[in-house]
Amino acid sequence: MEEITLTINGKKISARPGSSILDAATENGIKIPTLCHHRHLTPVGACRICLVEDEKSGRIMASCVTPVSQDMAIRTDSPTVRRHRTNIVRLMMANHPESCIVCSRGNKCELRQVAADLGVGITGLYPMPYYRGLEQANPFIIRDLSKCILCGRCIRADHELVVVGAIDYNLRGFRSRPATAHDMPLEKSECTFCGTCVSLCPTGALSIGNPRYVGSPEKESATVCGFCGVGCTLVMGSVDGQVVETNPSHEDETVNQSTLCVRGHFAHDFLNVKERLTRPLIRKGGELSPSTWEEALNLISERLLSIKKTHGPQSLGLYGSSKCTNEENYLFQRIARSLLETNNVDNGGNVNGLSTMNAVAQRLGGSIPPARLSALEDAEVILVIGADPTQSLPVVGYFLKRASRNNGVPMIVADPRKNGLVPFASLWLPLSPQTDSDLIHALAAILYKREAFDARYIDRFTQGFDLYQKGLAAFDLGRASRSTGLESGLMEEAADQLQGKKIAFVVGQGVLLQRNGVQTMHALLNLALMTGSLGDQKRGIYILASENNGIGALDMGCAPGFLPGRGLVTDEARREYWERIWGVRLSPDPGLSMVRMVEEAEKGNLKALYVMGENPLRGFPEIERVRRAFQNLEFLVVQDILSNETGALADVVLPGAAFSEKAGSFTNLEGRIQSFESVVLPQGEAKPDLEILAQLAYRMGQADQDFSLLKIRREIRRVIPAYSELRDDPGQSWVTEMGDLGQADEEGHPVEFTPIAFAADRLRDDTYPLEGILTSTRLHLGSGTRTGLSARITGFSQGGDVELSFEDAARLDLVNGDQVRVSSKYGAVARRVRVKKDLPFGLVYIPVAFYGNEARQLVALTQPGKEESPGWMQVSVKVEKIENNEQ
Amino acid sequence: MKERKKVDWEKIEGIIKKHKNQKWALIPLLQEIQETFGYVPPESVEPIAEALNVFPSQVQGVITFYAGFSLEPKGKYVIRVCRGTACHVKGGKSILRFLKKELGLEEGETSSDYRFTLETAACLGACFLAPAMMVNKTYYGKLSPPKVTSIMSQYNKDKGETQGP
Repeated sequence: MEEITLTINGKKISARPGSSILDAATENGIKIPTLCHHRHLTPVGACRICLVEDEKSGRIMASCVTPVSQDMAIRTDSPTVRRHRTNIVRLMMANHPESCIVCSRGNKCELRQVAADLGVGITGLYPMPYYRGLEQANPFIIRDLSKCILCGRCIRADHELVVVGAIDYNLRGFRSRPATAHDMPLEKSECTFCGTCVSLCPTGALSIGNPRYVGSPEKESATVCGFCGVGCTLVMGSVDGQVVETNPSHEDETVNQSTLCVRGHFAHDFLNVKERLTRPLIRKGGELSPSTWEEALNLISERLLSIKKTHGPQSLGLYGSSKCTNEENYLFQRIARSLLETNNVDNGGNVNGLSTMNAVAQRLGGSIPPARLSALEDAEVILVIGADPTQSLPVVGYFLKRASRNNGVPMIVADPRKNGLVPFASLWLPLSPQTDSDLIHALAAILYKREAFDARYIDRFTQGFDLYQKGLAAFDLGRASRSTGLESGLMEEAADQLQGKKIAFVVGQGVLLQRNGVQTMHALLNLALMTGSLGDQKRGIYILASENNGIGALDMGCAPGFLPGRGLVTDEARREYWERIWGVRLSPDPGLSMVRMVEEAEKGNLKALYVMGENPLRGFPEIERVRRAFQNLEFLVVQDILSNETGALADVVLPGAAFSEKAGSFTNLEGRIQSFESVVLPQGEAKPDLEILAQLAYRMGQADQDFSLLKIRREIRRVIPAYSELRDDPGQSWVTEMGDLGQADEEGHPVEFTPIAFAADRLRDDTYPLEGILTSTRLHLGSGTRTGLSARITGFSQGGDVELSFEDAARLDLVNGDQVRVSSKYGAVARRVRVKKDLPFGLVYIPVAFYGNEARQLVALTQPGKEESPGWMQVSVKVEKIENNEQ
Repeated sequence: MKERKKVDWEKIEGIIKKHKNQKWALIPLLQEIQETFGYVPPESVEPIAEALNVFPSQVQGVITFYAGFSLEPKGKYVIRVCRGTACHVKGGKSILRFLKKELGLEEGETSSDYRFTLETAACLGACFLAPAMMVNKTYYGKLSPPKVTSIMSQYNKDKGETQGP
């Protein structure tokens, strides 16, 4: 389209047709003051501060909602414009309470800025503030609607960005204010406390509930959130070396732009708790007592080397972290493999589902090509399976809800319960738990029968379709309908929506951690290949990595069986490559997973364990077994930021640094590598984890090596091709393709189809007649070690209730709020019960991470993703009512 | 304490169903509910939102924006006293005061038997009848306290026979 030319303040400029005067002016460096405008929100022209004058007609108009037209002549700062603007600000101020001195928005208040720029000090008008009570019953958001200027940013953010719809304008005229449905307090509304509205509010009407600090922080710096796998960019405000507030960065190129979730926005108060480790500790006479770094590091180095000498490298285990940086995990596994000569390295991401992903990634030559979240918004069709991102990875939930509600993308949600995405879905498939693979096969079979497959793609990139199509042709749809509990019409309807389209699959822990997880992933991959839905960044399989750097830790080789770059340890050529780089011999033994390490420690074969940034004594099932196994060790090192359950058993505890206290990089679930700098210094004597590892490597015989951040990054870029773009300065780059599909044109291997099999029947147990399903909620991440220390999260009285259906509640004589004991063969939890009308009977949903993560004790300790594992998600349980005095 | 009104769910659901697949259905739907029940029961906000694929807060926003919708049950007879300039000059204020006393209600209030609701309007557009008021859809003009008394007695006639709308 042709550009439009117009004049602003006498300057000739050109603009795209359809763009607003405000955009055209901003692009040309002409500043127009605004209040209600935000570039991530639809312009509404509510505040009228951006008024400009049409020179020809003398008309005054709001520049944010007036499109440019040919030969327009605009004045942005004429005396008329200034007079009108000044009057609008005077009226706003007359309606505003005189509480600027104690307002926490302080110098960041945009109303104050606009007033100051226009020179409005005293309004000269009769003050008519609209007083409303301060609302601060929840620990997250303080609402002081007397300071509201009705710009509607909070409402638009709520509707357009996070698509929750908790608030809208209520009433009109003078009494108009944003309100929840039925004007309830936020904690009784749909509000998820993502805080997006708080960071967008131009005044002090919405502010962060902050018991620690009031006012503008001294310093603000950008970093990357350390919670889930989305990797939101944060701006952290700090005072006296402590983080006091967190906001989204509002930058365009970030994943989250102006959004965050309740954890990212509010749970970072855990960074300042008294449980933070501030100095090294050594166990002396049974007690952990403070020591020097020198003493602690020397002890670790001596003990690890002597155990290696006496019992061999197989007796050592190292547990890296899906929360630590790429650089740290790289050095960690390098120490393990090259200095301690053991491949017993793992990271926490593997028990959170990534081992299931890996089991199928091998078909693609190592990794499932990551797809970009932004592509979800214009996907052709989305299939969400085993996932409720509105709880687990809320920012992914925003992408999905925006795709569906704002862009009309069809979205099929397969979940036994009516999860948070279902109201936005084009179709809900309420399947029976653990039958996801049957459903996927059924969809593939229906599509096959309709000849709705991508023959060109199949021909070009895959092999074994002959066998697979025989399986599809013979597939028993009736049996699939019975096992999944879905009527065949419903599955046909799903196929209607998928037919002829490239599918974006969104896969969560419901698949990754279930008994049939690997089978389901194989089925998904078959369907993705058959429909040609894999291979570029516009579609594909989105694996909802639940932790910030699970993907990175894996890419760095901090996983059993995998070398950096996801090469297999058992692959001789790959081993030779790394042997040349590190100048050592590598063991062909694939190494132990953490679950296997626990088993070996039980048997007395594993003698020493180094745990960095993980807390298996809270995150693992069968905690007593794990505890006994750890007590069986000769030497346990825990390097962490918090004094936690695992650290309490350690021989040496090293204080590491939280993400906000160090530099490094994280890789998110899209393969976005984000380098960041520190916001504040580590607490007390604590050190960045990379520095601790470097000093240890130095003591263990690599005195000639420089393991500084810059050197490690240079090494990673050089030796892991997928990370060749890793940046030294803060900012982002992308993982280049690691699998075969990216280069399938020329050199890649064709991807194999796998055979079809029905999922194993549910294990039935008459003692435990109900199916317990462990779920994560948006309040906590992982096992809740960090979020459980956030005063805001724990101060919020909601969450953690066990949910069951009306039918089961009636049968068990339970009503909302009753106390129940949920028990399985392995453990029991006592919780409050919530009866939900949309739950299918026979299911009990038990949120994890609350109350010391005791819910994880309901399942058995096995490696998720292994054939024989029943998974970490589902277990047969029984529910009993307990009287209040019994607790 | 007024007795809480029971909601006829069948009727509400019928109305919602009728409008479910219409475009721009929200206001016509709310009007029909308002007309049928004399108010929009707050309990119906969620089902309406779900049926029309909007947020409950948005439904509530529309209800509270328009004077024609009410979230509280109104009386069988809604009395609107004009507060326009002409009526003011002609003593509309004392008409309102008289009605308040007569009915024992303040502005915006509804009697406990759901018989009367007393409201005011910015202007009824009947200045030639000043001071004026409306009872439901009927205009009454050139009011005086005795005239108001006789009008009201007309609306009190069927008292005891019905239990409000």
